[in-house]
Amino acid sequence: MVYRPPFIRQGDGSRCQWSNCNCAAHAMAAMRHRLGVDPKNVHGWPPKPAEIRNRVSPTHCGGSDLEENHNAVLHLYGVDLLVRYNIPMATFRSLIISGRGAVVPIWYGVIPAKYDASPGFTGGHGIYVNERRASDGAYLVYDPLADHRRASIPQGPQWWPASLLQKAAETFPGTRAGCVHASFTRDTEV
Amino acid sequence: MPVKDQQKPPPKAKAPIEDHKRHADEVLADEAYKVKPATLNTGNDEAKP
Repeated sequence: MVYRPPFIRQGDGSRCQWSNCNCAAHAMAAMRHRLGVDPKNVHGWPPKPAEIRNRVSPTHCGGSDLEENHNAVLHLYGVDLLVRYNIPMATFRSLIISGRGAVVPIWYGVIPAKYDASPGFTGGHGIYVNERRASDGAYLVYDPLADHRRASIPQGPQWWPASLLQKAAETFPGTRAGCVHASFTRDTEV
Repeated sequence: MPVKDQQKPPPKAKAPIEDHKRHADEVLADEAYKVKPATLNTGNDEAKP
């Protein structure tokens, strides 16, 4: 069975918390990449969105991208993710099936109520995808906003239909139709 | 779209895991996918609490 990292929420009270989706998603990717094993360096473990944020932008908040977060988790935890752009969705499927997790930028405006963990938010967002379910092709998505802070908000990882993941990923500005940008973990299923 | 992907379609979902791993390795090594689009959004936006 594929290793499942613990869910890490972005709304943790830390600096820039509501802009820390990519930082939280990368924290979960770092856990998957290392299978939860502490690198035992001078930095903290387990990974925290705040620690990644402090590396990405120590003096200001705002959005962060895949490269910035990759550089941060490489420095902090020795996690060398593979950042790739405009990967066809069918190929993304192969990468997940073959044993990798991925951070994916998405457009939140297309997320239906069932999966919406931030009602009214319609902008760019970052999620972590851990695995694909063979029976129906759904993906196990860790949305850093899904912390059940209110009764209507989902809690923890959710199985998203492949069609929803594709729609949300390809709607992210600057993405080709049918494609996805992503930071992939190492293949942990070797 | 990179030529390599047009020539070698990804394996079907139920293909052997080795086929997926081989395809994944080919794509990850392809320089075409390492190029950041000039029009790419700079990052995420601030969500609502």
